[in-house]
Amino acid sequence: MRAFLAACLFAWLGFSAAPVCAHEVRPAYLEIDQTGQATYRVIWKLPTMGDMAIHLVPHLSNGWLEQPPADQFVAPGFLVRRWDIRTTPSASLSGQTVAIEGLADTMTDVFVRVRLPRGQQTDAVIRPEQPYFRIDLANGRALGLPTFLLLGIEHILTGPDHLLFVLGLLLIVRDRWSLIKTISAFTLAHSITLAAATFGAIQLPTAMLNASIALSILFLAPEVVRAQRGGTSYTIRHPWVVAFAFGLLHGMGFASGLASLGLERSALLGALVLFNVGVELGQLAFIVLVLALLRSFRLMELRWPRPIAQSPVYVIGILGAYWTFQYGALTFGIGA
Amino acid sequence: MKGRLTALVVTALVLPQAAEAHLVVSGMGPLYDGISHFGLSPEDFLPVIAFGLFAGLCGKAQARWSLLAFVPSWIAGGVAAMAGVALAPMSISIVTAAIFLIVGGLLALNRALPPAWSAGVAALLGALRGLADLSGIAASAAHGLALAGMALGGFVLFALAVSITLPLQRLWMIVAARVGGSWLAALGLLLVGWVVRYGPVIH
Repeated sequence: MRAFLAACLFAWLGFSAAPVCAHEVRPAYLEIDQTGQATYRVIWKLPTMGDMAIHLVPHLSNGWLEQPPADQFVAPGFLVRRWDIRTTPSASLSGQTVAIEGLADTMTDVFVRVRLPRGQQTDAVIRPEQPYFRIDLANGRALGLPTFLLLGIEHILTGPDHLLFVLGLLLIVRDRWSLIKTISAFTLAHSITLAAATFGAIQLPTAMLNASIALSILFLAPEVVRAQRGGTSYTIRHPWVVAFAFGLLHGMGFASGLASLGLERSALLGALVLFNVGVELGQLAFIVLVLALLRSFRLMELRWPRPIAQSPVYVIGILGAYWTFQYGALTFGIGA
Repeated sequence: MKGRLTALVVTALVLPQAAEAHLVVSGMGPLYDGISHFGLSPEDFLPVIAFGLFAGLCGKAQARWSLLAFVPSWIAGGVAAMAGVALAPMSISIVTAAIFLIVGGLLALNRALPPAWSAGVAALLGALRGLADLSGIAASAAHGLALAGMALGGFVLFALAVSITLPLQRLWMIVAARVGGSWLAALGLLLVGWVVRYGPVIH
């Protein structure tokens, strides 16, 4: 019964990440900064994985971004391009449209920040369903804090790797107390590293981090099988320890959702807290849904054929293995 | 009036037109668009919740078989719509009204059906809703993941509704569920009146 539930959830998790990838939904970042009366600096940060990057190209309706960039370099996890624009004093950004080529084919977002010399600032999130944004400096405003709450919720709900790991834990725990300890340990651990990574205290190469997260899923799969067969192991007896240990890795993964936004340190704390609350809310919603469905199946006395009942955990293992090899190869520069 | 209603039904079923509804945009990809569509469309979630509550009141076997019958038949209905058996807006409105009436009526009456009958009604409900849902979505928006999301949304909603009434057969809960059923049936009647007077509700 549990396994069937896992099958349904697996379908959800698997389908929510197409093409199959372990959470490459980090947003891109476009900053347009007015540095003088007639000069602008434009920064474009495109998330990369090893040597691979999704195809996103920014365009500005006044044509500024059609010229070659003044500089282009690779930073950890990002390809960065910079344009230095010299124009006439009468040229205005207001009314111009930012369009992101290729965004409609992805499930990532683009954060846009426009800064003027007098401290005026306009922020926006461009999403795949409407891959453009009209700059309105008169009515523009900075990104509100609730945006980060929603970003946190979105980050975990569209991240099959994190959800698969939580699902694996749910399939291992055997009682309520163990469940509370395990989920609390996971929450505590990922909150610690989320904060540390966001403030730059710790950092791992993106591919290596994703490989490690994938490995955590792969690690859980045989433990789930063992638990379902009535066996025991350290993980089955103390799932909260494993949840804490791997939660530290997952927290660094969550941090990737905030890291690219180029937030000032003063704004980072509020954003971090709300982002983390969003992640917890999303995770809690997922857990409540899983438990509610388990209860429903138990009440109905649903019994599934063994192949159906057993398949999800094997698929979880296969996905974990696939991602581990995929990101492992990227980490070591194989096949990139 | 009866003749007019019959003529309307026949006309609606015989003359299919392209329906121009669209999916809810969740901003989280097509799968969540599908789930959101199911969760935010009253014509979808009201009868599913109502029939889930009814199946739960009927008993474990009815609930189990109904749940197992609902999703495959919803998918079958959706596939049929995509294969060209799409309903016109008038037909969708009539189907929606009929489903409200039947499911609401069943819940209000609270007469336990045998498991096979219960599964049959669930299959009919699923097939008609799948047909209506996919007829109402423009072909360009009929993304496979969105359809999977809608089916998953229906499955989850049905299972959760069952779990409300199955374990607790308290009087107040039964009364509340039956009152809810009567409201749904009344809504179905209102829809019938609207469709006869003003035409399709769903465009």
